[in-house]
Amino acid sequence: MGDDYSSVWSYRLKWLYTLLLVATLMLPVFYVIYISFNKNGFGAAEYVFTFEWYGEIFSDLLLLGALGNTMILAAITLVVAVPMGLIAAKFYKATQAKLLTVSLLLSPLFVPADILGSALLVFFKNLNIACATVGEWLGVSWFDTWFDLGYFSALVGLIIYTLPYIFVVILITMGRYPEQQTEAARSCGATAWQAFIQIEFPQIRAGVFSACAFAVILTFNEYTRTSLLKGGYDTITTVLISQMLNEGMSEQSYAMSSLISFIAIAVIGTIILYTLFQSDRLEREARAKAEPVMSS
Amino acid sequence: MSPLPLSRLRWQRAAAKALFLSPIVFMVLFFALPLALTVVWSVFERTMFWMKPGFTLFSYENFFFSARLENFLGSMMHSSVSVVVAFLFGFPVAVFIRRRIPQVAQHRVILLFILPFMVSEIIRIFALRPVLQRTGLVNSVLLELGIITEPITAILYTPMGVIIGEVLSFLPFIVFAGFLAMEAVPKYVFEICDDLGARPHRVFIDVILPLAAPGIFAGAVFIFVNGLGVALLPNILGGPGAVNAGLIATQAISALDFPLAMAVNAIMMTTLLGLLYIGHRLFDLTRILTPIN
Repeated sequence: MGDDYSSVWSYRLKWLYTLLLVATLMLPVFYVIYISFNKNGFGAAEYVFTFEWYGEIFSDLLLLGALGNTMILAAITLVVAVPMGLIAAKFYKATQAKLLTVSLLLSPLFVPADILGSALLVFFKNLNIACATVGEWLGVSWFDTWFDLGYFSALVGLIIYTLPYIFVVILITMGRYPEQQTEAARSCGATAWQAFIQIEFPQIRAGVFSACAFAVILTFNEYTRTSLLKGGYDTITTVLISQMLNEGMSEQSYAMSSLISFIAIAVIGTIILYTLFQSDRLEREARAKAEPVMSS
Repeated sequence: MSPLPLSRLRWQRAAAKALFLSPIVFMVLFFALPLALTVVWSVFERTMFWMKPGFTLFSYENFFFSARLENFLGSMMHSSVSVVVAFLFGFPVAVFIRRRIPQVAQHRVILLFILPFMVSEIIRIFALRPVLQRTGLVNSVLLELGIITEPITAILYTPMGVIIGEVLSFLPFIVFAGFLAMEAVPKYVFEICDDLGARPHRVFIDVILPLAAPGIFAGAVFIFVNGLGVALLPNILGGPGAVNAGLIATQAISALDFPLAMAVNAIMMTTLLGLLYIGHRLFDLTRILTPIN
């Protein structure tokens, strides 16, 4: 690694800096996890290690109900947004209007949460009024509540939020898939669907599964859009924020935050380790392929 | 054969096409349309609980001739500082990864920076309170080490706190954008520079910056706009004076002043599109997309 001119120590120092930077970014999270194990809660002079607060998470009905809502939202987002991201990536590969497609799909990344959330809030309220007006005019009422704030509006916000990430992750994995294999499968008589399921999907599976993990974790973490669009019910993050801003976080909330963070870190950590393992294999393969050329 | 299978085939084709277009339709309908309509809603008249169609520039007046403009400009300044700090800390990492790590392993190092991003924003931002406050982690460690004799109070509930929060929240994005941008700088370029005996700062200014400019710009715009738009940061870490566009919009929503919120949105979207347009004219932002094509 490195070239002939650089010292090994500068290389190590740069690695150290990179890891320190990641550690600094993670520091607040580790601190929350540390506090969550303290029997006396935050700010106490004495630190007593305990699992007590984790046991009490599940006696907090507010948090538990919110957990249920969040899980439902995450599940539906997963089921809707991941296939949509997959279709969008396929569409991007096929279309001529690449720039338009990619800017439409990636621009939600650039629009801050509060801006998009409030725009969608007013949009849904207007749709509601329009529905009610048209319904009154036609004398029917069965579509009056279609666009009420609730699961549907929150889901729309979440799908817009997660779709760009899913799209990029899947697109990058698809980039490594040689298109000619689909052509070969098609000319051997496979239908487009068979070619996708049997030839392409197994090769982009890792990307699709990472995208699933992303969708669920991002849904669990999202606060702003959900809180604007959710209507009457609570999710984990809205409960946590209202506690934080009102009476300060309860010990159970520290435990809940730590638990969610811990699960997210574990899932993404597993994916990173898997990628590491995979890229080791790829590296070996690349080296094996390169060897005959090197020795000649 | 009866015409039935043919029509069914046609129907199937149409359904497949509709499915193929569904993500685009979804994004136009629920993303582009609501954002475009904010401009229309921003000139509506405010009523007691909602708004009614009309044409008035009252909301814009309300924004530009009040303390809100001052707050907005202030948050622009804080955001710019965050962009510079994040760039100084984050971009060298992107250069290091591209330059020194073997090609196949580069992605896994970059993945490390996804890790903090996978923990909820609210937990990360809120957790900065116990870290930065008077009796918090930073102060107690510094006191313990004898570096300071009195706790630093300037790092929380101040613009400084907001800047720290912005840098810690958005730094991964400058690493990602920088990493994508460095795709435009092949490894051999560094070797040539080394062979020609160029000094590191000349390599940086004359070679890396011009080649990686589109990606750096995209990352910078991302951080800048989010610094303006994420209400949570000034809400949790800022003091009384720290208000950004996102907070103005959410406060307007809770005060049921919807036209004002929409005006803030329209101003934010104009800022964003203006910046992207300038960037595109200067650096041709489509170059960033080369790696995924």
